[in-house]
Amino acid sequence: MGRLVEHPILDVKSSTSKTHVVFYFEGQPICALPSDTIASALIANGIDIFGFTEHNHARGFFCAIGKCSSCLVEVDGIPNVRSCITPVRDGINVRRQEGRGKPKW
Amino acid sequence: MVDNQAGGKRHVDAIVIGAGPAGLCGAIAIAESIGDGTKVLVVDEGIEPGGQLPKQTHKFFGHEGFYASVRGFEIGKRLVDKARELGINFLMQTTLAGIYEDSIVAYDRNSNSVSEYTADYILIATGASERFLLFKNNTLPGVYGAGAVQTLMNQYKVMPGKSFLIIGAGNIGLIVAYQLLQAGAKVKAIVEATSKIGGYMVHANKIMRLGIPILLNHTIISALGEDRVEGAIIAQVDGKFKPIPGTEKEIAVDTICLAVGLQPSVELVAQTGAEIKYISELGGYVPVRDENMKTTVNNVYVAGDLSGIEEASTAMIEGYIAGYNIAQKITGKDMSEKITNMKNELVEFRKGPFAAKVREGLKKMGISFPGGGYREEIQQMPSSLSRLKAVIECPQAIPCNPCETSCPTGAINTGGNINGVPQVDYEKCTGCGICVTKCPGLAIFLVQQREEHSIVGIPYEFLPVPEKGSSVKLLDKNGKYVADGQIDRVMINRKEKTHIAFLKVPKGMEGVVRHFEMSTVSEESQAYICRCEEVSRNDVEKLIDSGITDYEEIRRVLRIGMGPCGGKTCRSVVLQIISEKTGVPISESRLGAFRPPVIPLPIDAIVRYAKGVGTDE
Amino acid sequence: MSEVKGAYNVCIIGGGITGTALAYSLCNLGETSVAVFEKSYLSSGSTGRCGGGIRQQWSTKNNVRLAMRSVELFEHFKEDVGTDIEYYQGGYLMLSYDEEEAKQFEKNVEIQREEGLDVEILTPKQVSERYPYINTEDLVLATFCQKDGHANPHKAVIGYAQAARRMGARIYTHTEVLGIDVQNGKVVGVDTNQGYFKCDAVVNASGPWSKQVSQLVGVDLPTESYRHQIFVTEPLENFFPMMAISFAGNFYMRQAQHGQFIMGQGDKDEKPGINYNVTFKFEKELTVKMVKLFPFLRNLRIMRHWSGMYNMSPDAQPIIGQSNIVNNYFYAVGYSGHGFMVAPAVTEALAELIVLGKTTHTDISYLNVDRFANAEVEKEKNVV
Repeated sequence: MGRLVEHPILDVKSSTSKTHVVFYFEGQPICALPSDTIASALIANGIDIFGFTEHNHARGFFCAIGKCSSCLVEVDGIPNVRSCITPVRDGINVRRQEGRGKPKW
Repeated sequence: MVDNQAGGKRHVDAIVIGAGPAGLCGAIAIAESIGDGTKVLVVDEGIEPGGQLPKQTHKFFGHEGFYASVRGFEIGKRLVDKARELGINFLMQTTLAGIYEDSIVAYDRNSNSVSEYTADYILIATGASERFLLFKNNTLPGVYGAGAVQTLMNQYKVMPGKSFLIIGAGNIGLIVAYQLLQAGAKVKAIVEATSKIGGYMVHANKIMRLGIPILLNHTIISALGEDRVEGAIIAQVDGKFKPIPGTEKEIAVDTICLAVGLQPSVELVAQTGAEIKYISELGGYVPVRDENMKTTVNNVYVAGDLSGIEEASTAMIEGYIAGYNIAQKITGKDMSEKITNMKNELVEFRKGPFAAKVREGLKKMGISFPGGGYREEIQQMPSSLSRLKAVIECPQAIPCNPCETSCPTGAINTGGNINGVPQVDYEKCTGCGICVTKCPGLAIFLVQQREEHSIVGIPYEFLPVPEKGSSVKLLDKNGKYVADGQIDRVMINRKEKTHIAFLKVPKGMEGVVRHFEMSTVSEESQAYICRCEEVSRNDVEKLIDSGITDYEEIRRVLRIGMGPCGGKTCRSVVLQIISEKTGVPISESRLGAFRPPVIPLPIDAIVRYAKGVGTDE
Repeated sequence: MSEVKGAYNVCIIGGGITGTALAYSLCNLGETSVAVFEKSYLSSGSTGRCGGGIRQQWSTKNNVRLAMRSVELFEHFKEDVGTDIEYYQGGYLMLSYDEEEAKQFEKNVEIQREEGLDVEILTPKQVSERYPYINTEDLVLATFCQKDGHANPHKAVIGYAQAARRMGARIYTHTEVLGIDVQNGKVVGVDTNQGYFKCDAVVNASGPWSKQVSQLVGVDLPTESYRHQIFVTEPLENFFPMMAISFAGNFYMRQAQHGQFIMGQGDKDEKPGINYNVTFKFEKELTVKMVKLFPFLRNLRIMRHWSGMYNMSPDAQPIIGQSNIVNNYFYAVGYSGHGFMVAPAVTEALAELIVLGKTTHTDISYLNVDRFANAEVEKEKNVV
C-alpha cells in the first residue's frame, strides 16, 4: 500500500511532488497531493477502513466513481461524503462515519 | 454559451453524455460536420475525459484508424485534444443527474452546483458499470472493483494493496492482473468460475508466462479478516457453479479484486423513455436501437458499451455512426458516405468469434452482422531459423492488425481480413523487431538458432530493465522454470515502452522459453447483495420463498436499491436470484424503475442554483 | 370473452392499500372467496408512491372519527396482521404561516378535542424550544398531535396481502382488468388479460384509474387524477420524529425509519391525467422552501425522486360505498391524497357493508357518491 514511485509505463513524477495538502483524519494530520481525493490520500497513507456500518461492519473504498455507498465519511461534520470522488482540501476534518450520519444544524 | 442564471437553461445542439471513446468520437463527428464545436456539450463524471481510457496502460487492439498499438491513456489524450481543437465544451466531474420531463440536469461535484440544459439531440454513451459478486464478507475493506483498482493505481498512482487475488478471467481481470504486476504488486491467482478463459488468449498468455495461475472452475467462497481483507477461501466448482466440498483452499492476500463483468449503465437512457430490453448477449438491459444507433426516442442516440458490452474500437465506430447521423439531422446535409464507411468498419470488426455474442444479441434487435470469412490456421514455427525472425503466437481470430501494418518489409499478413490469424513470410522477415514492440497482445517473439545456444527476444514492460549479461531463470509459457539462461542484450524502446529482452537459451528451447525471472527479484450465504443496507442473499431468498417475487416488491420490502448507491450494484444480482428461484428468465422479468437523480444531488447546490447564487466557495 | 379461470364471491380491482386491506378485512369477516386483481405489482399505483403519513387532525367531525379508527387499527397492525410496517407515532406538527389559517386551525382543534383527540396548540417559541432545528420565522402557530404518525406504505400492502393469502384470498399480480361483465344491472364477472372470473360482487379500488374502471361498469364517478411529486434524501440518524406539514406553506416532510427525509408539495398548475414523469422544477421549488424552514437539509442530497397520483374528488374527501345503479358494484376511490392513512377503517367498514349489509365500527355513509347530487358539499380544508 502506498504511492507508486516507479512505473514501467506511467509517469509517476507527481507522486514525489513537493506540493502538499494537509488535512485531518480522526484528528491525525494526513499529507496528500493536490490531485488526491480523500480516498486516494487515505489509502496512500495506509488507511483503508473509512467507517463502520450500522451493524458495525468495517467499510472502505469500493467503486472509485461515486456510485456505491461504501466509502462514506464525515467531512467537517457533514456526513455521507463520498470520499472516492471528493477532492482533498487543506485543513478539512475527516472522520469515519459510523452508521448513518449525524445531522448538523 | 450564456452564463448560468437562476432557473436559466442553456441550449445546445447536441449534448453528449459520457466522454469515453464512444462519446468522444460521437462529439467529434458532430462538431466536425456542423463546423462548430461550441454547439456540442460533453458531460462526464470522471476527473479527466476519456472514460476508461485514462486508466488503461496497455496497447489497444484494432487497426491504425482507431489507434491500435497506442496505449489506452494516450488514445484518450489524442481524442480529447482533437475534441478541444474543434471547440467542444466539456463539463467534467459532472454527473448528468437526470433527464427530467422539463430539463436535463447536470451536477458538478467540484463546484457543488447544478445546471439545466436543453438539447436538440442527446447522444448517450454512459458505458457500463461493474457487476458485483456474492461471497461471504464481500463488503470488507480490501474487496475492490477492478475498475476501482485501475483508477487508484493508474490515475491516482496509489496502490491499494501488496498481494492480490483476482476474480474473473475475462479481459478486464487479465488486464488488471498485468497492470498490477507492472506496478510491482503480487498477484496470487486469478480464479474463474467457468471452464475457460473468457478474455483474449494473448492477454492470458502475458500473465501465465509470469507464473500467475489462472484457476478455472474455481470461485471465491469467502473473504477472510475482521476489519479488512487478510485472505480468501477459494474452492473448485461443479458444472452448476456450486462449490465442491473439500476443495476449499485458503490464500493469503490483502486485496481481492472483482472483475466479473460489466453491465450497461442504462439509467439515463431509460429516463428518456427509450425502450429497454434484456439481451443477455449484450450484457443485460440495453436500449433498443437501430443500425444508426438511434433509440426508440427520435432525438436520442446511444453508442459504446451502453448499447452492448464490447470493446473500444467498436465503441468509437458506433460513436461516429451516431455522431454523423445526428449531424446529418442538424445540418440537413447528406452524410451517408461517412456513415456507410463506418458501418462497413463495424462489419469487419464484428466478423470474429469474440463478436459472436454481440452478433447474436443484435440479431434480437433485428440487426444482423455476418460472421466468418477470415483465416484461422495457425502457422507453425519453422524448424530452422538461422537468422533472427519473428514468431507470432496469436492463436485466435481477433480484430487486430498492427503487426501487418507496421512491418516495413511487408512480411506479415492477416490474410486479407483484420480478424485473420497472422502469418509471417520468412523470406521477407528481417527480424527488425518493430512488430514485437507494436503488438498489443505482446504475442510476437524473436527467435534465432545459433551454434552453441539459441536466442529468444521477449517483449518486456516491467521494471527494473535487466542488465546485459545478467543471469536469469528461464520460464515457459506457463511461468514454470525450465532452465538457467542469460540476458544477451536489451533493445530499449523509450517511445513505445515495450522493450525487447534477448535471452540466451539452451538449444532446442527456443519454442519453449517465453519469459524469465531475474535472480535479483525476491521470491514471492452471508454474502451481501446490497452494501448500502446490508441485505444478504439469504434475505432475498427468504422473501421470494414467501411469495414476493416481483423485483419492485422485493426492493421496497428489503430496501435493496434504495440506499445511497441507488441500486447500481444490486439490481442485476437480485434479478438473477429471482430468475434462479422462479425459473422465469431475466429477459421476461420486470426491470423496475430508474429514478432520478442518478447521483445524490446536494440540496444546497440546487438551492443556490435556483436562487442564482452560483457555485460553492 | 376469454376462458373462465375461476369464480369468486368478491373481485377487487387494484392491489394497493385499499384492495389488499379490503381482502384482509373480508377474510376477517369469514368471506374468503376473494380475488384481488393488480395490473402491475402490489402497491405500484398510489400507495407505494405516497408519503406514508397517518394523521387524525382533520377539519370535520366525520373525518376525525374515520382517522381515529384507522389509528386504532394501525396501533394493532403488528399483532392483527402480523407484519412490522415501521409504524411510528411521532406526531404530526401542522405549521401555519397565515393568520387566517391559524384561526381555522384553532377551530379544527376544538372539533378534534370534542372527538377525544389530544391535540396541542404551540406558539412559535414553543416550537423552536422543542425542535431547535426548525426555523420558526414567519410561523404563526402550530398544532401537534402525538398520536399521529407514519408507516411504510409498501410494507403495509405486503402485510395485508400476505395475511389475506394465508386466510384464503387469491391475489393476482400483473393481471389487468379489461372488462367488467354487467348483465341485467348486476356484475356477473370480470375479464382480465389472464382470463375471465365469475363473481357476485366487484370492488373498484383502482386509485388513479378509478374513473376508467368505473366506466367498465357503466357508472360515472366524479374523480380526476393529478400528479404529485415527492423526493427522498440520503439517510441521517433519526432525530426528527414527527411529520411536519403546512397547507399554506404547501409541503409535508418526515424522516423515515431508515433515516431518509421524504418530502413533497402540491402544484396548483398540474393538469389532470396520469403522468409518472418528474420535473426538476419541483426539486428547485421544494428545496428552496424547505432549506429555509429546515436549514439542516442544506447538507443532504436527494437520492430518488418520483411521482404518484392523487385521485381527487370534488370535495377532497374519499368516495366510498355501494352503487345504486349496479348494486353489487362497490367503490373506494377518490381519496384525494390521503387513502393510505384511512384505509384500515375504510376497508373495515366496506367489508362490513359487503358481508353484513351495514357498517358497525365506522359510519361511512357520508362518503357515498350521492353527496355530489346535493348542491352544497363541505370541502375538507386540511389537504396539501
